[in-house]
Amino acid sequence: MGEPDVRAYAYNESKTGWEEIGVVWIRNVVKYRYLYLLLLPGLVWYFIYKYLPMYGLIIAFKDYSFSKGIWHSPWAGFKHFEFLFSYPDFYRIVKNTLIINVYELVFSFPAPIILALLLNELKNMVFKRSIQTIVYFPHFLSWVVFGGIVIQLLSPNDGLINQLRELLGLEPVHYMVKSEYFRPIVIASLILKETGWGAIIYLAALAAIDPEQYEAATIDGANRWQKLRYVTLPGIRNTIVLLLILKIGNMLDYGFEQIYVLYNPSVYDVGDVLSTYIYRVGLQGAKFSLTAAIGLFQSAIGFLLIWSANRIAKRYSDVSLW
Amino acid sequence: MNRNRSFSAGNAAIGTILVIFAFLTFMPFYYVILTSISEPHLIKEGELLLWPKGFDLTAYRIILNNDRFLDAFANTVLRTVLGLTVNLSLQLSFAYALSKPYLPGRKFFMICIIITMLFNGGIVPTYLIVKGTGLIDTIWALVIPSAISTWNVILLRSFFENIPVDLEESAKIDGANDLTIFIRIYLPLSLASVATIGLFVAVHHWNTYMDAVIYINSANLQVLQTFLRDMVVQLEMASILGDMGILNETTSLSVRTASIFLVALPIIVVYPFIQRYFIKGVMLGAVKG
Repeated sequence: MGEPDVRAYAYNESKTGWEEIGVVWIRNVVKYRYLYLLLLPGLVWYFIYKYLPMYGLIIAFKDYSFSKGIWHSPWAGFKHFEFLFSYPDFYRIVKNTLIINVYELVFSFPAPIILALLLNELKNMVFKRSIQTIVYFPHFLSWVVFGGIVIQLLSPNDGLINQLRELLGLEPVHYMVKSEYFRPIVIASLILKETGWGAIIYLAALAAIDPEQYEAATIDGANRWQKLRYVTLPGIRNTIVLLLILKIGNMLDYGFEQIYVLYNPSVYDVGDVLSTYIYRVGLQGAKFSLTAAIGLFQSAIGFLLIWSANRIAKRYSDVSLW
Repeated sequence: MNRNRSFSAGNAAIGTILVIFAFLTFMPFYYVILTSISEPHLIKEGELLLWPKGFDLTAYRIILNNDRFLDAFANTVLRTVLGLTVNLSLQLSFAYALSKPYLPGRKFFMICIIITMLFNGGIVPTYLIVKGTGLIDTIWALVIPSAISTWNVILLRSFFENIPVDLEESAKIDGANDLTIFIRIYLPLSLASVATIGLFVAVHHWNTYMDAVIYINSANLQVLQTFLRDMVVQLEMASILGDMGILNETTSLSVRTASIFLVALPIIVVYPFIQRYFIKGVMLGAVKG
């Protein structure tokens, strides 16, 4: 047998036993040594910081203790999961996470689409550019900055909103500590901050729609709304579906950074989401195993969500993630 | 296609909605700025501010002289620079190697890293690993655990794949090895895309604070965002409870708003220049991804 051509996958080549494969592998590593050298740091990183933590998830099935470390902590079986599923607080945080996500899907997801549609109608380039520059900007601010602005705006003593209320003869309201205002504040601030930036992708998709379709529609006598319904929306439908799938897959991870800035103990009952709870109780409260169990729950359900969303997308549209 | 009427009721409505939205987006920020430069005692009486009242930079002076602020600023700059360097070197070399179709094991590695996009260990196990590798309470905890983003790797890999193979072949004929080809040929050619990704990474490092909250315990290692959060949330609560320490109620407002503005300032300064690159970057991501 001649020299195997190593430009094909080595492990397909050798069929005569392990020794042959080993020799081929070593030969490849030597031949492509520089490439493997470039690959190595990344591989090590993935192993340590992505795969080891996955392994670390087993502490969800143990009673982790600092002194014993991951290896030697005693097994606890499904104890933590049983605890979680009978723990009212757990349902509360899951509920909070889901509700905020639903609000986000209903209010915040369509916003960039609408904005892109509106911007797309503009003929005056200067006006369009100026609006775009302004609305893209908040995306670049951190949540601490933006959230700080929101907190300041709603401040009972010196915030703009309450000053307006006083001008109208109304009593000031301390919005940030009232549970009934928290979710609307979260969603409203999200919309103001991210809509502009989110519109970019839709603008690109809109630009990709064939102008001839619009011309044909005009010839057929379509008005603006009809064009929207029959040309524009179908044209960006795939983009919308794709982004929707991604969003659904991320649901359970909802914004630690945003919530952590905006929330305070008075609104924990509605504002506490999975990620903030895991941080507060798990890391600050040192309940590692319990919150690792929550994290496992989060990852598993997240995967399920994105998988289902992908299947639904495959069935009802012609685009999907895989 | 040119409209004959450049102004219709529909267009007017669209324009109005857009202006209102832009106004709502911009206005809170504007308000914070003008509060920060106004004279504190003129603000208090519940008057509505549309323009700065008086001109007073005391708040800025207070903050810029504050040790914690300066520490936080230095730390943030440090983490951004370090983060950018580590991130780019790791991601670029990794993506380059993966971009070679003839690399044995390539598919295997790709699957390995794509899995990490769908499923990960979570906050707690990652924390334990970071602790195990001795990074807690060091600047490296802000740099290393987040060093590689699989999404970016995939993006960079596409860029490299799109560079014509003849360049590599002729270089190989001239006797160059893979490393030289990478550094001397591919990198200079991808500079534009690298710069774009670099910008995203830099801004992300400047703005992110979840990792600082989780991995950093010492006050003097904190970053700007955590500093700001403490300032805004604590001072806000303190001013409501009337318990202020050195700052009285009115100055605290100026200090709060001034600190918000200062932390946002580098981004504001850089924004006009980089806006274009970011938009391009998003489009590229959408198309390739």
